[in-house]
Amino acid sequence: MIPLAHYLILSGLLFSIGLAGVLIRKNIIVVFMCLEMMLTAANVALVAFSRAQGTAGVPVYDAQVLSLFITGIAAAEVAIGLALIVAMFRARRTVESTALNSLKD
Amino acid sequence: MFETSLCQILFYLLAALAVLCAVGVVAYRNPVNSAMCMAVCFAMVAAIFFGMGAQFLGIVQLIVYAGAILVLFLFVVMMLDIHDEGQSRGSYIHAAVGVLVAGFFAGLIIITALRLPGATDNACPVHSLCDSVGELLIGEARTASETPAAPAQYGGSLPKLNAAAAARMENPAISDADAAKVTSISDVKLLGKCLYTHYNIPFVILSFALLSGTVGAVALARKIRKD
Repeated sequence: MIPLAHYLILSGLLFSIGLAGVLIRKNIIVVFMCLEMMLTAANVALVAFSRAQGTAGVPVYDAQVLSLFITGIAAAEVAIGLALIVAMFRARRTVESTALNSLKD
Repeated sequence: MFETSLCQILFYLLAALAVLCAVGVVAYRNPVNSAMCMAVCFAMVAAIFFGMGAQFLGIVQLIVYAGAILVLFLFVVMMLDIHDEGQSRGSYIHAAVGVLVAGFFAGLIIITALRLPGATDNACPVHSLCDSVGELLIGEARTASETPAAPAQYGGSLPKLNAAAAARMENPAISDADAAKVTSISDVKLLGKCLYTHYNIPFVILSFALLSGTVGAVALARKIRKD
């Protein structure tokens, strides 16, 4: 069977790639996608721990409930975030994060 | 042994594909390509959830992430008519710094995962720490039967699913003979029981969060009349 450590490594890799995307990309929509990926990575770790911490072969469902909550919050967050991006595009005609520098000028 | 090796092959294949598609999300310059990569990545993660025996979460992952959220992203990308990012000066340094930071983070996580307590010996200090903190925070100690036992070792394999024990947890009155006949865990039933008893109030609050999200999105994206 697959050890818990490998699930955690997968989760860590997904999270790190998402982090890299957030740091590198300038397109805010892609930055947002990478944020979603980081949330998914957290879900993978939670489900893996729910299996690992189970008693007598029954997973701990508290972890899966938490994972479900993360999914729900992520859905609400995406709705708000994309509405913000649409509002920003209306005001600036761009979605580049480097264009948001009116305080600097 | 064939079954376990098949499980392993599937997991590593799906994990590799998920990581590859995650890299694609960051690497593609066209946001539509990124969104498609994200869909494949999330589908692979859903398959990994199925492999771990979390069928309900796998379905939710597929419907909510790969279905709803992705369509929302694509919708906005199409609506906004975005041009590709221009390669401005200093962006290579920018990318190098990003990769460096993320690589450092990934290395940290991998080293931590490989050095989990129990990978070398069976001691499990994480569990006892969790217990004492839980008692401090909640104020009431869980009963002995509720407290999850420490896994034999964190570094080792995940424990096998036990359908009979799950059936007994679902229905305490079930006889041992009947429990032994159960061959599959009803993941949805147990998850729903946990969700609607222990986490009932947070679940209702989550629905308010979703409602405010919907209202907020409409209020933000609405066209403001000048007059």
